[in-house]
Amino acid sequence: MIASARKTHGGHPSLHLSLHRDRPSTLTLGLGFATAAVLALTQGSVGFVRDEGYYFTAAQRYQEWLVLLLHAPLRALQSTERYWSYNFEHPGLTKLLFAVSHLLFSTWLRVLPDALAWRLPTFVFGGLLTHWLATLGLARSRTTAVLAPLLFWCAERTFFHGHLACFDIPICAMTAGVGVAWARALGVLEPGSLGQLTKSAALAPASRPSLRAGLGLAFIYGCALAVKHNAWFLPPVLLVHGLFLPAPLRRRALRALPFLALSPLVLFAFWPLLWHDPIRHLGDWIAFHLHHVHYAWYYLGAELRAPPFPHQYPLVLVALTLPLPTVVLLFAAGARLVVQFARRRLDPLRLLELALAGGAILPFLIGDTPIFGGIKHWLAFLALLAPEAASLLERTARSAAATKLVSWPRALALASAAALLPGLWQIVHLHPYGTSAYGELAGDLPGAASLGMQRQYWSNNVTAVLPWLNANAPRGARIFFHEVNPESVRAYQLSGMLRSDLRQASGPGDADYAALQWHREFRDREPETWNAFHTRRPATGLYLDETPQVLVYARPGLPGAP
Amino acid sequence: MLRLLPLGALIALGLGSLLFDLTLSSRLPEDADYAEAAGALRARARPGDAVQVWPPWAERARNFVTTAKVLAEEDLASADYAGVARLWLLALPRVPYGKLGSARAALERRGARPMGPVEKFGALSLEEWDLHAPPLVAWLAPAADEAHEVDYVARRCAHLPIGSTVRFRGAGAVLHLRAGVIGELAYDRSRPPISVQVSAGGVALGTLEVPPTVPPAPGWRALDLTLDPSGETTREFAFLVSSADGSLPVCISAWTTAR
Repeated sequence: MIASARKTHGGHPSLHLSLHRDRPSTLTLGLGFATAAVLALTQGSVGFVRDEGYYFTAAQRYQEWLVLLLHAPLRALQSTERYWSYNFEHPGLTKLLFAVSHLLFSTWLRVLPDALAWRLPTFVFGGLLTHWLATLGLARSRTTAVLAPLLFWCAERTFFHGHLACFDIPICAMTAGVGVAWARALGVLEPGSLGQLTKSAALAPASRPSLRAGLGLAFIYGCALAVKHNAWFLPPVLLVHGLFLPAPLRRRALRALPFLALSPLVLFAFWPLLWHDPIRHLGDWIAFHLHHVHYAWYYLGAELRAPPFPHQYPLVLVALTLPLPTVVLLFAAGARLVVQFARRRLDPLRLLELALAGGAILPFLIGDTPIFGGIKHWLAFLALLAPEAASLLERTARSAAATKLVSWPRALALASAAALLPGLWQIVHLHPYGTSAYGELAGDLPGAASLGMQRQYWSNNVTAVLPWLNANAPRGARIFFHEVNPESVRAYQLSGMLRSDLRQASGPGDADYAALQWHREFRDREPETWNAFHTRRPATGLYLDETPQVLVYARPGLPGAP
Repeated sequence: MLRLLPLGALIALGLGSLLFDLTLSSRLPEDADYAEAAGALRARARPGDAVQVWPPWAERARNFVTTAKVLAEEDLASADYAGVARLWLLALPRVPYGKLGSARAALERRGARPMGPVEKFGALSLEEWDLHAPPLVAWLAPAADEAHEVDYVARRCAHLPIGSTVRFRGAGAVLHLRAGVIGELAYDRSRPPISVQVSAGGVALGTLEVPPTVPPAPGWRALDLTLDPSGETTREFAFLVSSADGSLPVCISAWTTAR
């Protein structure tokens, strides 16, 4: 049981109250808009990751279906399977949004290029994530509200993921959103107020959640379900959170939970694949993830291929990939929440943050869950610790300011700069090569290479060598793009980043040029290229802080060959 | 003053991190450093020399070094270095976790000795090492400059079909046979082992077994056979590659040395 019940001045047991009434939602929404704008303005150089290739293709099919829906609704309803069975393993909401955005801004209005239109919904999710993190931070202070999203985004890994038409930032945002909706349903977070607990919750703790709050929770959780299967884990997390609350709030939590039963309606509404034969499609969706393939992953000098994976893997990866001050603050925040939980001094909102953060990373600590993809699968772990980390940052500054040796604004500026500048530098230095980023604890990229860490993934770094290929490859030349899937190559050609006359080769043997991505598990491709091209000297390449990322080989005699 | 401590620690952490990031480039070589080192190698390297980069990921050297073969072996103590008399250790001594000292120690463990002072070319260092290796008598396989990856290192070896027998002629006192599976299939524990039977003049000399690789056991397996002390007799060696799984991409390397 969490001992958030305290004696108030009047001697009545109450819940921790902090009711500074104003309209700070302007602040959280403003931060959200700013986040979306920054992401949109910095997306142009971000390569198309492997998964985006599939989601772009899915969005194109779903767009065709939307057009059919507008012109022949009955036919569209009858043929959902034909259009929606592609990429059946992920629910429909985000891909539907990619399709709607593209239809609206690229096909009809012609105001956005294809890639930007597809990615636009992710920027909205990025903005929502900031808004919800700031909302959680606002329960402590305005300073924390600003710092929480900054701590999350000021790292190249997280910043990079904010640009992709994928599901990682959307599900991270929806996890935070579910947290906020749950807190509001319990009455421990009032919209637009500074305060962890509302007066109504304190005075009428046994009351049910309002219908509006319950339906809001059901809708937000339904959206999370319709984004990615990570949402499956949220109801148990909310249940556990509810069970650890003081009795009045616990009763309210147990009455809020049944609202989640409405959430599958949202999943159903946003995923037309389920409109016919839903049981089979749901079964396929679940089975795909229960039996997900394991990809080889390079970790501390060992190639991890199958379970059991090291239990500490996700925590080590967080420590090695993020900027060191962020790592220290996040781990200090996590430790503080755990210690205060053990001492029964954690208020309901912070307990919720701990539960959601723990729930986000727990599946990856057990050693059986697929671990590929760097930190992207547990971004919500970082996000939900960010408000507490921001609070620690603020306390650090306040503590210094209390000595009168340094003013509060100066202390805050110094603390914020110390915490955020290394991450900002990481972004300036490495963007858009986010999957290659490592922090100071790893020794940055060269240190991580020496430690034997995954060099990169998802093939997006290939953008660095596309201008060279465009400039050098003869008309109709065949390029072996290695890990870049055909869908992404087509997207590069569609966006004008790659000449449309260049053709894809199936391997070095039938290629004129080879763009090899450095992967430990694909090291055989480079000697294969040497044998085929009769040279061991690359024509060009992408080397980040000296570490080879993408190597381009050219057949001797062709333009650009050394 | 204690209340200032957390802020002081945070500033130290942030400043230290930023300082580390901003000075990293000074620990990394520029093109000019590589060009100078390549120039030195052009002037001093002899046929049969090889350049070992360290850390093994520092393969940008391939863009500059053209006068000697560039190797990226990971275990310098047990690397083959077949036919290499002198090894030039081209290193990035100041990269984080570079462990150049462990590379030198590994070379010393195999009997190699440094032949001169360490030269510096900006952020690069160049060291000449005498491997004290027995002289190469004959390369048996592969005949051409064919390379494949086995156990994550590019190796000079011949990709042979399972069930094939290849024959090579050569003299030498000691036969060195190496074999391994190309690519990730090497680590598939469900696969059967591979045998490479070696004979000379119809007489069986030995068998090299290549089981699925289970790290830390090496995937690049070795068999060294003493033939005769004089090493003057020329033999016809036959290598028979067999396995229950005909799809395994096996690669073998064989050479003889004078001792």
